[in-house]
Amino acid sequence: MSQQENGAIRLTLNGREVEAPKGRLLIDVAEEHGVFIPRFCYHPGMASVAVCRMCLVKVEGQNKLLPACATQVDDGMVVDTVEEDAVDAQRGMLEFLLINHPLDCPICDRAGECPLQDQTYKHGPGSTRYVEDKRKYEKALAISELVVLDRERCVLCWRCVRFSDEIAGDAFIQLVDRGAGTQILTFTDEPFDSYFSGNTIQICPVGALTSKPYRFVSRPWDLETAPSVCSYCSVGCPITNEQRAGKVVRCQALPNEEVNSFWICDKGRFGYHYLASEERLKTPLVRGAHDEFEATGWGAAIELLASKLKDARVGVIAGGHLTTEDAYAIGKLAKKVIKTPHVDSRLQDAGTPYERVRALAGVAGSTATFGDLDSAETIVWAGPDPKETLPVAFLRVRGAVMSGRKLIVVSARASSLDVFATEVIRTPAGGEAAALRSLTDRLTDDAVICWGPSSPGRAEDATADAAIALAAAGGRRLLVLPPHAGSQGMIDMGVLPMLDAGYKDSAETGMDTLAILEAAAAGELDVLLLFGADPIADFPDRDLARRALSSKVFTAVVEILPTESVALADVVLPAAAYAERDGTFTNLERRIQKLEALLPPPGSAMAPWRIAQRIAAALDEDWGWSDFHAVWADIKKNVTSHASVDAETLAPTRGVAGPEGGAYYDAPFLPDPGTNGSVVAGPGGQYPKGHRAGAPFQSGQNWPLSWELRSFEARQRPGFVPEATSGRLDDREGNRESPSEAEPAADADAGALQLYTGRFIYDSGAMVSRSAALLRLAKRPFVEMNSTDAARLGLAEGDLVTITSGDAAHDLELRLGDVGEGVVFVPYDQPGFKANELMTGTGRVVTVAKASAPVAAESGAQP
Amino acid sequence: MPDPVARVVTERGEVRIVTRRMRAFPDDSWTIARAVEDGAYEAARKAVTSMTPDETIELVKASGLRGRGGAGFPTGVKWGFVPKDVFPKYVVINHDEGEPGTFKDRELAERDPHGVIEGITIAAWAVGASKAFIYCRGEFALGSRRLDAAIREAYAKGFLGKGIFGSKFDFDIVLHRGAGAYICGEESALLDSLEGYRGQPRLRPPFPAVKGLYGQPTVINNTETVANLPAIVDQGGDWFKQWGTEKSPGTKMLSVSGHVYRPANYEVPLGTSLKEVLQMAGGMRDARPVKAIIPGGASAPLLTSVDIAMDFESLKDAGTMLGSGAVVFMNDTTCMVRNALITTAFFEHESCGKCTPCREGTWWAVKVLERIEHGEGRPEDMDLLLDIANGIDGRSFCPLGDAASWALRSNVTLFREEFEAHVAEGRCTFDGDFKVLAGMRATVGDAGVMPQPGAGVSSDRPGSHDDEAAGRPGENA
Repeated sequence: MSQQENGAIRLTLNGREVEAPKGRLLIDVAEEHGVFIPRFCYHPGMASVAVCRMCLVKVEGQNKLLPACATQVDDGMVVDTVEEDAVDAQRGMLEFLLINHPLDCPICDRAGECPLQDQTYKHGPGSTRYVEDKRKYEKALAISELVVLDRERCVLCWRCVRFSDEIAGDAFIQLVDRGAGTQILTFTDEPFDSYFSGNTIQICPVGALTSKPYRFVSRPWDLETAPSVCSYCSVGCPITNEQRAGKVVRCQALPNEEVNSFWICDKGRFGYHYLASEERLKTPLVRGAHDEFEATGWGAAIELLASKLKDARVGVIAGGHLTTEDAYAIGKLAKKVIKTPHVDSRLQDAGTPYERVRALAGVAGSTATFGDLDSAETIVWAGPDPKETLPVAFLRVRGAVMSGRKLIVVSARASSLDVFATEVIRTPAGGEAAALRSLTDRLTDDAVICWGPSSPGRAEDATADAAIALAAAGGRRLLVLPPHAGSQGMIDMGVLPMLDAGYKDSAETGMDTLAILEAAAAGELDVLLLFGADPIADFPDRDLARRALSSKVFTAVVEILPTESVALADVVLPAAAYAERDGTFTNLERRIQKLEALLPPPGSAMAPWRIAQRIAAALDEDWGWSDFHAVWADIKKNVTSHASVDAETLAPTRGVAGPEGGAYYDAPFLPDPGTNGSVVAGPGGQYPKGHRAGAPFQSGQNWPLSWELRSFEARQRPGFVPEATSGRLDDREGNRESPSEAEPAADADAGALQLYTGRFIYDSGAMVSRSAALLRLAKRPFVEMNSTDAARLGLAEGDLVTITSGDAAHDLELRLGDVGEGVVFVPYDQPGFKANELMTGTGRVVTVAKASAPVAAESGAQP
Repeated sequence: MPDPVARVVTERGEVRIVTRRMRAFPDDSWTIARAVEDGAYEAARKAVTSMTPDETIELVKASGLRGRGGAGFPTGVKWGFVPKDVFPKYVVINHDEGEPGTFKDRELAERDPHGVIEGITIAAWAVGASKAFIYCRGEFALGSRRLDAAIREAYAKGFLGKGIFGSKFDFDIVLHRGAGAYICGEESALLDSLEGYRGQPRLRPPFPAVKGLYGQPTVINNTETVANLPAIVDQGGDWFKQWGTEKSPGTKMLSVSGHVYRPANYEVPLGTSLKEVLQMAGGMRDARPVKAIIPGGASAPLLTSVDIAMDFESLKDAGTMLGSGAVVFMNDTTCMVRNALITTAFFEHESCGKCTPCREGTWWAVKVLERIEHGEGRPEDMDLLLDIANGIDGRSFCPLGDAASWALRSNVTLFREEFEAHVAEGRCTFDGDFKVLAGMRATVGDAGVMPQPGAGVSSDRPGSHDDEAAGRPGENA
């Protein structure tokens, strides 16, 4: 928390004179000096409310005890936290809290990591004098798909209520009734429908809020924990992965004031189930004589691939969820070993001109950090809806606005930022750049421009140029928002056709993703190498991607799960997922943070950089890397922008993932854009690892309700729309449809509109869709336009409409919304609908008309 | 105009500064015709048209007027805390008179609403507020109707609204009815309630004078306090100070109730002895002896003697407080265990639930008191009750918890033998009808506490929880 700090003062703490910045909260100052004052309601990430009265301490000159969480330190203050009256208050408060606590620790998930337990042991009475009956409530209320509430255990600290209201801004959970009948509850018929609900579980100081997926799964002392970084979006929240019996069973936020404060989104918290999916690729596969996959060994698979690569025309496409080391290895393999310039890592953001950002400070990435949002006068947001795609960035922006920053949102569709934005500029189709240009003279120099590709498949050049120009105009800072956890690492390591590692121009500009796929489809390539890339699902032209992969080109795919692209491959190489390997992610600030391996990869899967190294070795290039430190040694030597990164001290995020928040760590790294330098990790920190010794990991089949079973149950529920083709390795023929070469509708006829799309937090992505709890929360697909356009076309809210692009058409339910003129919005990848089916060629003009027939069964569009 | 002193002094010892009009014209004192004929709004006119705000503040400071809501803070000093250069500012009238036994503000608003409005106008002029809110206790049906009507009348006469009394001072009053929560009489909870939130006390600092209603500087005054202002502006501070004591000048409305012949509001000079007050109220019913007196509302620790002066200092020295001026006389037929139970159950019911000690401590104390009253007390229960009181006192978020602990502690301390007799005899040593209590507790249950069969809530099954819980205390740890 930022406190008003007016220089250092001295105070006496338990007889010891200590120094502290004036105005800091006593509870924090004490903790920094080794005195932990017990607390329940206080949380360093939120404003103090002083309701639990657990932190009462004696301050000389005050006739009452003062709550340390609401007392600012002052010069000459004499504080005694172990004075008789204070100790009596602490003991008394615990006795009060326990009279109505059910003490069902033996069946409580929180037991073992419970602040109420711990503080009772330390400060509480050993027994009670309460002999009457306790307060009774219905136990284990499921208040959402993810959160279970037990009001009997609740100590009414308000942390969850305050988080929802103050931090997330969606106050779904509230206090009801009063006095001893006060309860935490959601509103009738309104579930706890927040993208951030899991944080309330983590900060709950008792077991009142528990995680539905984690309920009764493990005791905390049976968990082994490793610090990591969330592998979904490019915010790069530090998290813990926690495993029992060989499966990750829980992820929690690790505090880092610089990045995520104390919070993560529910996708990051609950989206780990894919790691233990039965569908994980465990062994290399090659297409056999009967066009079916046959398991093989690494040697044979690599040899086959290497034989195809020799003297071949090769295109390489990488995905956004790979680590920085993978990116370096892929770039090196492609450009140095295979010697092809046709390398790209942009799929849903295909064509985004990240390299132009170098005009600002020489780096193809952000010149601002999240911290800059808090101090800038104005924030301009011209990117995707952050709540859906970069959820914790949404919290950062919201927090900045709540503390007085101005926010100007430039978008063609209403976003989650609009409700608290100072100004919203709703642009017509294609009007973002003009809107940004109009801001040039209205902003002071103290502004942060946030720009990122907001609508997969739309050309970003004009918007990018306008954002860069706006930033350049006043020495303002730019926060670039690439989509995925690994996206910035790919840019940094030169997995782009126009850039080499270290933001240097490529000697020879190669083909980008679109050109590579077109070339493949036209038979102008021999080999297509996909590293964690699924062009069919992600590239904004599904038809082209399918044609490219179905062509004669030899396709090798490095993947963790059987994607649609895997189904069309000739060689499949199984990869380790992020929790199964050491490495780093580079987030959208270009902050490099370390992941630690918690589990071995399934089967013979291995980290993509190892796979790249084996391919290189088969092509007679020996890189000699033994571990990720060795990769970094190579990076330091060859990538000037990253020369200062010290892999040995590249520390994991330090801190304890617990309800207390723990100590947040010293900010690691951050390359100074001015000097083109890069990335320094914080000092080495120690993370308390779970006890590995003597805890043999069983197969996990002892568990009465396995994740597979849960997933299975979820699929039996009505309303669940399974993906049509993903994961089927045997229907390659079915996918070999004759490509259609339809031209996009050129003329703006009566129904012609520009197609905008956007991803939602819970979509049909290969990873998140393996988490049954989250997929159940996925929004149904729909089509959205504004009421004027709808009226012009004779359409009304709720109509079933046909959206047509070339030969592709889809029936969806129409919603009227706040979108710009001439804009039609569809979600990019929701169950039952893939927007990239409508994206053929470069045209993004579609027609919308009332559906001629009643709901088509295959549309999957259910109300 | 008749002699201003003679107008207010009565033969029985009352000095009627704020109650004069209502007593003089019992049939129509609340109408604007009668009020104006009686001189209403002249003081407000004088302040607004001929005095500066600073002069008004100085006058009130000089009068020594202290807040009549309970805390007794000097009114003029409170006004002085309001920053001069921050606008808008608000005046909020705490008319949420919820202290058990208190009914003075209620009568003021019902019978002399124009006196109240005039006082509010003077307060607003002094602090520079152009808007005032009256937070009226929800249960005050007649009072709120009369206030509402009086505000309309005042607007019609130009005493409220744009440019009142022909000046450039625009002043509006908004009447807001509460929803029946005692805690909303706590000033910061009142502000939250007024803003539409849960009525719960706020963390201080910032204090309302700096950051109050809607985050703006706000003066919160009690109804009786502002009702004194017209007389002070009219007659001056020295005139006001001729009554009362040096540190507690003026008069105080005392709401007298209990085992007396004539329970009513009596306005007496501060410092009047409690014995005189009892005489005004006609003495003890049936000539039974006084056993205990609540001198200042349910929060105030008990007195056992009437030989005390009723002013802020004397009562504080006696370990209790003048509070809201609710005086409840109890005779020797009163069961003090039941008194403690009723009082504590009130605070338990009205606890907002925000802080641990008040929420859990009052709940626990009620459970213990119920057991004792129902003959299930244990010898250690008296010390337990005192421990609970000590655990709340000074540690709760707002004074509600403190008040609950003071009342509880004074009952147990002063009448410990009676508690012990209940325990020793295993029954209430007085005649009594438990049903009344049972009904009261059932209401608490309805509010969400979920009474359990045999939890001491259903008093028709006394002892039913005995074997389940009392014998195995360890299981309830």
